[in-house]
Amino acid sequence: MDLDFSILVEHREVLINGFKLTIFIVICSIFLGMVLGAILAIGRMSQRLYLRVPAVTIVEFIRNTPFIIQAFLFYHGLLALGGALPEVLVGILALALYSSAYYAEILRAGILAVPHGQSQSARAVGMSYFQSLRNVVFPQMWPIALPPMASQTMSLVKESSILSTITVWELTLSAQSVQGITFRPFELFFLIAILYWGTNESIAFGIRRLEKLLQKRQSRRVSKEASGRAEYVT
Amino acid sequence: MNFDFSYTVDAMPWLLKGALVTAQVSLLCFVLSLALGTLLTIIRTLEISLINAIIALYVSFIRGTPVLIQIFLAYYGLPVIGIQLDAFTAGIVAVTLNSGAFTTEILRGGLKAVPNSQLEAANSLGLKRSIVWRKVVLPQVYLTSIPPLVNEFTLVVKATALLSVITVVELFRTAQQLFSSHYHVVEVLIGTAAIYFVFCFVFSRVSVVIEQRFAVRRP
Repeated sequence: MDLDFSILVEHREVLINGFKLTIFIVICSIFLGMVLGAILAIGRMSQRLYLRVPAVTIVEFIRNTPFIIQAFLFYHGLLALGGALPEVLVGILALALYSSAYYAEILRAGILAVPHGQSQSARAVGMSYFQSLRNVVFPQMWPIALPPMASQTMSLVKESSILSTITVWELTLSAQSVQGITFRPFELFFLIAILYWGTNESIAFGIRRLEKLLQKRQSRRVSKEASGRAEYVT
Repeated sequence: MNFDFSYTVDAMPWLLKGALVTAQVSLLCFVLSLALGTLLTIIRTLEISLINAIIALYVSFIRGTPVLIQIFLAYYGLPVIGIQLDAFTAGIVAVTLNSGAFTTEILRGGLKAVPNSQLEAANSLGLKRSIVWRKVVLPQVYLTSIPPLVNEFTLVVKATALLSVITVVELFRTAQQLFSSHYHVVEVLIGTAAIYFVFCFVFSRVSVVIEQRFAVRRP
């Protein structure tokens, strides 16, 4: 067994650029995926059939096929239709679409977990549908939705490695190209495994902090409201 | 460009042959990962801190890294440290080790759902440890874990598509071979996606049905 980790230093530029691109793609896909996910979730819960059927179809198709197939289909579908977009953009769109289905299901479960009476009362005091979602439902569903959101975001980071198969020069493809020159697969794949692992552990850490922060803020708000009400009563 | 869906129809016999390989590989990996998960769950209850730390590290590593990289490590990385595996075996090893970590976590959840009184009752009857596991604890753990385990199985099916990158000729690799000969990529991929969809969708529906049926048996 001979391991030579110096090649990692030698080819650091390619690897660092790949890592940067992975982070960029992931951040864009998280935001885009959440927006699309919210749209899909609201569409899926809609009373209108022409909104619900497409939303359900998209979500179920994405959840029940491998991401590598979706990425290929997206990439070659766009090519065949004549829309030659830059690979990075195709990658971001494919990843965002993929994660949006999962985000949609998490958001839907979160919204459904908030007792129906809450949104009904919000509507009864004159809030619009979106106002009741924003002011009443969303603040209550975060404790339920945040942990699965975190694990979905972590799997988004992992799935981004598959974009290497549609020639997006992110971390995995960069490592593969360096391995093509150096023939050092173990060192390279071990390094990028550590990088992905580190990224995911940081996300998990960040979300745990966020959870605590939200909890604290929530309890502070509740106690403030309670004391305010007490003054009013006396 | 026009799509010619006769290519989808023409590809189907080959794709179904590939799907059979995907089904076999998925089933094999899943059974092995269930065995691995059960073993690790039992070992974990012994509460040997060093071993538990190693298991925790293994689970964390698998959950934090992409399956694709794990497959690369098994196929290209292991020969460097002296373990030479052919593509098929390396693929099975990688997917099993991947799924094993998730199964361990699922079974850990299932184990928590078994009431302590069950163990106390079994122990006070003087049952042997192995009997307690086989006849009392594990059946309940599996039963409560059916929905997440079926979900895990569909994840395994989807993960096996990645074995195409290390030249295992399963469904996706078959599709790639087909469209690389005539470049009607989209048509072939739609057929491929449809097969994966039917496979995964049926299983996730079955899990819902099973869950409802067994809900009666659960206290």
